Amino acid sequence: MPAELRTVKKALAAASLAEVEVMERQGAVILEGRVKNWQQYLEAGYAAVGRGFRGVVNDLEVEGLESTKQQGESSHDDFSLEKYSFDVVIIGGGVIGCAIARELTRYNISVALLEKESDLARHTSSRNNGMIHPAMAVKYGTKKHYYNLHGNRMYDQVAEELGFDLSWPGQLALLEKSWHLLLTPLIKSNADKKEVRGVRVLNRRQVKDYEQNVGDGQRGSIYMPESGVVSPYQVTVCYAENAIQNGASVYVNTRVTGFQREHSRVTGVCTNRGVLRAGVVINAAGVWADRIAEMAGDRFYTIHPRKGVIAILDKKTGASQRMVLGRAPLSSKALTKGGGLTPLLHGNILAGPTADEVYGREDYTTSPEELQFIKERHLPLNKTLDSDNIITYFAGTRACTFEEDFIVEASKYVDNLVHVAGIQSPGLASAPAIAVDVYQITGKILSKQMDLKANPDYNPVRKSAPEPGKLSLGERNRLIANNPAYGKIVCRCELVSEGEIVDTINAPLPAKTVDAVKWRTRAGMGRCQGGFCTPAVLNILARETGRKVTEVCKHEPGSELILGKTRDKGCEQSAN
Amino acid sequence: MQTDVLVIGAGPAGLAAALAAAEHGAEVLLVDRESRPGGILKQCIHDGFGVIRYEEKLTGPEYAFRDIEAIRAAGLEVLNNTFVLDLKQSVDGFSLLLQNPINGAFRVDTKALVAATGCRERTSRQVFIHGDRPAGIYSAGTAQNLINLHGYLPGRRVAILGSGDIGMIMARRLSLEGAEVVGVYEIKSEPSGLTRNRVQCLEDYNIPLHLNTTVTRVHGTKRVTGVSVAAVGADLKALHDSEKFVPCDTLLLSVGLIPENDILEPLDPEFDAKTGGPLVDQRMLTSVPGLFSCGNATHVNDMVDYVSESGFIAGKSAAEYVQCGWKRGNIEVSPGENLLYIVPQRLVSGKEAVIYFRSVKTMDRVTLVAQAAGKELFRKKYLRIRPPEMQKIVLQALPPETESVEISLGEVT
Repeated sequence: MPAELRTVKKALAAASLAEVEVMERQGAVILEGRVKNWQQYLEAGYAAVGRGFRGVVNDLEVEGLESTKQQGESSHDDFSLEKYSFDVVIIGGGVIGCAIARELTRYNISVALLEKESDLARHTSSRNNGMIHPAMAVKYGTKKHYYNLHGNRMYDQVAEELGFDLSWPGQLALLEKSWHLLLTPLIKSNADKKEVRGVRVLNRRQVKDYEQNVGDGQRGSIYMPESGVVSPYQVTVCYAENAIQNGASVYVNTRVTGFQREHSRVTGVCTNRGVLRAGVVINAAGVWADRIAEMAGDRFYTIHPRKGVIAILDKKTGASQRMVLGRAPLSSKALTKGGGLTPLLHGNILAGPTADEVYGREDYTTSPEELQFIKERHLPLNKTLDSDNIITYFAGTRACTFEEDFIVEASKYVDNLVHVAGIQSPGLASAPAIAVDVYQITGKILSKQMDLKANPDYNPVRKSAPEPGKLSLGERNRLIANNPAYGKIVCRCELVSEGEIVDTINAPLPAKTVDAVKWRTRAGMGRCQGGFCTPAVLNILARETGRKVTEVCKHEPGSELILGKTRDKGCEQSAN
Repeated sequence: MQTDVLVIGAGPAGLAAALAAAEHGAEVLLVDRESRPGGILKQCIHDGFGVIRYEEKLTGPEYAFRDIEAIRAAGLEVLNNTFVLDLKQSVDGFSLLLQNPINGAFRVDTKALVAATGCRERTSRQVFIHGDRPAGIYSAGTAQNLINLHGYLPGRRVAILGSGDIGMIMARRLSLEGAEVVGVYEIKSEPSGLTRNRVQCLEDYNIPLHLNTTVTRVHGTKRVTGVSVAAVGADLKALHDSEKFVPCDTLLLSVGLIPENDILEPLDPEFDAKTGGPLVDQRMLTSVPGLFSCGNATHVNDMVDYVSESGFIAGKSAAEYVQCGWKRGNIEVSPGENLLYIVPQRLVSGKEAVIYFRSVKTMDRVTLVAQAAGKELFRKKYLRIRPPEMQKIVLQALPPETESVEISLGEVT
């Protein structure tokens, strides 16, 4: 047995996991066998990290758990994409995949993005706190740090070009012990080394001056002005729309089921809608990236989901807080239990997320315990908040590898495969920089197989529909005079007009479900949670898409909201 | 644009307020965000409306129709599809920014403002339902809208959490439409709606009512596949040993109503934490001069007749206010023993007062006593009193030196 494998074996034995079998494949360490529980599975994975391998492939079976399957069997099986050919095929319609798609349209190539769900950003990209982190909490020298730092700095320009909302409220990472103030020189030099600008350490009184409602018990704070907030869903959709405007094709309800390979190349991407030819394949499949890598013939990492539960507070709370509030990760376990209070773009405050290792990659159920954690740990950071302010809550999962760093690289074993995997927090902040790097990496591969040129028609500015709420009264009235639908409010809580809903249903990337309309326009996101506007949104969706109302879904096929017309069953009975 | 009295909301309270204000000589503008007046009554096609006011059992649309006809006969202006975008105080009243598809966004100044904005339903998240977020979770009122206004069936096998009136009415409605209601689950030990609804909507249709039981979790990721239900202990916490799975495709919630006064925030009126509405005197005047509140925006009523009654009072007072400009009364009315809340919470002397209240719990053979400075003002005996059933009394005009009034409910002595 080679020395590296022996060190893995030793580390496993130290964790009382001596029965785990280890081997090496394509430079990665493979763990096989059977363990008793998920905790042991995780311990084994972490024990194998940093032993001189390219990565950890954890194939351990866990007693009582079946291997997780991807959520939902697609009801869209057809051959509508059979034999389509693209220079680049991107797998995954999260913020990373969409940002890459948009960057790649700067070349004169054909780009397709495949998303297995009915809409983009259905998973991690819509289930996070929307924060553009300063590159402070990431380890220096990692890919995370590089992309976080550069991505953060790109956001102003990207927001300008794509027309999404962005604020820079700044962040206070509160200190829990007075002696933490003694760490000031260390904190400052850490910020300097990581090139994060404007970082200061505030004493208790200064914190009060910055944020008067800050909870009791703080002993000062690290102030980081380079902390921003976006709607992660909006960022994803804007990237995709601009990609489409520049010639990319986006296919939703399209699930990758395998690959056709010749020698060391992937030639075809097999999907539920047929086999596509691909010049280069980019794996941006989020929590499923390791499965895609395996099917493509180069798996050297394992995704293990880390779940985060988030609560959204009523807009009324927004005025009570200016900055992102959290706890400085000095004395707590740095890996988990982050989160805090984020002031969102439309006046709500977001509490969370929690961080718990889970088994289900798309298990988005919440529990009373998780919400209780948020109530006890996060809400007290702002002493004006209480649990009555919570209007909704939900869960997401982070796509973590055991190495806990991003993977952004061309495959070493497959000539035309690019890995963009393990993109957990701060993935949103990093997305613009990752996309630019993948543009370079992909360009290198493409230039070996074709005459690569710039796209002469590339326009980085997204063309967008009008937003009446952002117009002056005069402009708004001209818009309404032209189209009265912009004057008819459908969503009472968030003031969304029928015109905006119609626009989003007919956008370059059409919103075809109630959730897609909700996430794009905010209709249904307010304090009544769709109680009043759901019937109207259903009718508008049915009308604009030419479908029956019984065919309108909340999200995926199978999530129809209306099961029939009244009396249809009653009539059957009386006819009998 | 300018007016004397602007009424927000054309449900029963707003319709009554607009009528009364006009009758008392004010120039009135009635604005409503929906395309037709009538408010929630439009979707309440069951009967039982108007038993006090008309001594008839009308359906919701019939009840609303009478007021709408009167509004038309009086030649009052109603702006439909009209939304309040902004509201602030001005030198001699209020300035509103309104918007509708025909006029676009425009300003209106008014001397008096009547907020008849009704209430909204508590959501599944506000009662902390857990699980994923599948299709098939509706508030009872949303389901009522879908069925009665659109002819859509939101579910075929339905569990209902909460025994509020709308929930019980929807249980019957769904049964009539061919859906199966697997059960109504109520966390408390007695139903939270009217007795007549329990009898006419559940018992007559053999729909099981499970008291001291709650829904702990929703199952399903696309569509609801079932709910977990569990008995609760004395602290209303679920006893997880008793948890069981109930298959269904829909969860309906009838877990309470919240007066909707968010629109008033810029005016910052004093609120009553118990009712969720502004503190008012017997003229329905709030702490903000010229701002009146009525109907379910003031407190959640059990009967539409009382909603209209408070609307009439608010409208008449608003018209008088425009002429006289008086301030809210400051005689404090405090709910004493066994009272959940009292509306109005303030009184002005020299004027008779209609007072509404609810008891904290179900009680038999009790006496209501109103006192001021140790002197008894009013006494009434009740054989049985239940929290879901609102009570009303009329208190005679108080002398000007009155500082406070205490009303309490006690065992008959």
